Amino acid sequence: MICENCKERPASVIITQESMAGSAERHLCDKCAFHAQTFHFNPNQEPLSIQQFLSHWFSGTDPFQAQQQTRGESQIGLECPSCGLTFQKFLDIGKFGCATCYDTFRGKLPHVLRKLHNGHSIHGGKVPVSFNELYAIKKKIEEIRMKMKVAIEAEHFEEAAALRDEANTLKQHLAHGGGNSDVD
Amino acid sequence: MSIEKFMRNAVTGWMTTHGEHSDIVMSTRIRLARNLTGYHFPIAFTEEDALAVDKAVAGVLLDIGESEYSYTKMAELPALERQVLVEKHLISPHLANPDRQGAVILSEDETISVMVNEEDHIRIQCIYPGLQLEDAYNQANVVDDHLEKELPYAFDEDFGYLTSCPSNTGTGMRASVMMHLPALTMTKQIDRIIPAISRLGMVVRGSYGEGSEAPGNVYQVSNQTTLGKTEQEILVDLGNITSRLIAHERNARELLLAKSRIALENRLFRSLGTISYARLLPSGEAARCLSDVRLGIDMGIIEDIDMSILNELMIFMQPGFLQKYADVELSQEERDIFRAKLFRERLHAERTSASVEKSGEE
Repeated sequence: MICENCKERPASVIITQESMAGSAERHLCDKCAFHAQTFHFNPNQEPLSIQQFLSHWFSGTDPFQAQQQTRGESQIGLECPSCGLTFQKFLDIGKFGCATCYDTFRGKLPHVLRKLHNGHSIHGGKVPVSFNELYAIKKKIEEIRMKMKVAIEAEHFEEAAALRDEANTLKQHLAHGGGNSDVD
Repeated sequence: MSIEKFMRNAVTGWMTTHGEHSDIVMSTRIRLARNLTGYHFPIAFTEEDALAVDKAVAGVLLDIGESEYSYTKMAELPALERQVLVEKHLISPHLANPDRQGAVILSEDETISVMVNEEDHIRIQCIYPGLQLEDAYNQANVVDDHLEKELPYAFDEDFGYLTSCPSNTGTGMRASVMMHLPALTMTKQIDRIIPAISRLGMVVRGSYGEGSEAPGNVYQVSNQTTLGKTEQEILVDLGNITSRLIAHERNARELLLAKSRIALENRLFRSLGTISYARLLPSGEAARCLSDVRLGIDMGIIEDIDMSILNELMIFMQPGFLQKYADVELSQEERDIFRAKLFRERLHAERTSASVEKSGEE
């Protein structure tokens, strides 16, 4: 018998191919069989799309996952209040609908992100300067509020008023520095 | 249009052959994904959101006094022009869809392109020729800083920059190098190298993204993970892998030359013959022959042809560019004819002195 593929060399290998239509036997020479196999194991094949990946890993079909879900029943119904995306839909389409989704699904995300990012779930890179400033100002306002509370309890109303003014200027700064006014 | 004039208008910043290791690394690309707070991501936003985002981003970049940027709305660009931008790697195929409110803001030399309302609100992209990871990142970072000063970014203390796709969350950075690896491909070493690299959190693909094939032996190596590492760490890791690939490729070239010089020369010169004289040139054959000719130039086997030929013709042999060059819509077979013509003319223009190919065909 000669090789089915090159029709030149004698067939020396029988390869069974499984497909939707059933299994088929192919008689090949070793050269063609090698290529058929390397094709089969080609690591450079179309990579799993992120949707396929997420729904394979995280949708509730496998028993391990099902077990987890009975524990966290309440989380299944998670829905983003801003864009309406549910966690299940997120797994299906593999995309977030808005920034608020991250907040909504916060508890479940580290698990998903670790799978995608080699075990990492916490950002370690660049932080926007504006975010650092914003964060610092928010902290400061919180501090002032605490002091204000103490001052009011101690009936130091003048000091409390001064603190309130200070907090208000910071808040105004926040509104401008945050840039919210630019895009309304 | 003359070939010289067409090239002059079409060659873009990254197609030149500057930069380190430009015989093997064709280009370096950095992409940063960013979103604004207050609007849903493009997958879920309304037309009003889209317009507001567009206005905000364009406002920042175009309002600089002597702005070097130009703004183009996808919906206002003819299909062929959009295709040409995709083929030049200046926009993604996703952005090119005219129904999606996308726009691109390009720097004058086209090394910086800011895509608006792609999968994320903002995609900053810098493409430099050769291996220039640091420089390309610094450039993208400057644009990012500039936008960040004016616009409220969606950022989270834990998750970093928030992106539509969880595979970009964190730095939002994809760094990639486009490499010509003919010797590793010929010796099949690449089949062992690709899985090894993917274990290091990097991906290797054919140059045009998703597909498995690497036409013309051009591969794209990029970081897969964007979370947990700093931008610098990602760049260093990618740089290290790139250097090792370069060393492997150079070794493989030496080996080919030492073991089978005549067979190699035979193959490379035959390919030169094909692209110099063919009258029908399908894209697969064109890509293969170009790769051979470029290898021949790099190894000093083929002389008197500039190495930029690969960088340019790889882009110009694509359907959009060919039709632009021809100035009419072309069927597949007509494209093969035009591709052959383009290659002949490009090579002919190169050898002005050596009048090998006279005007016999007219």
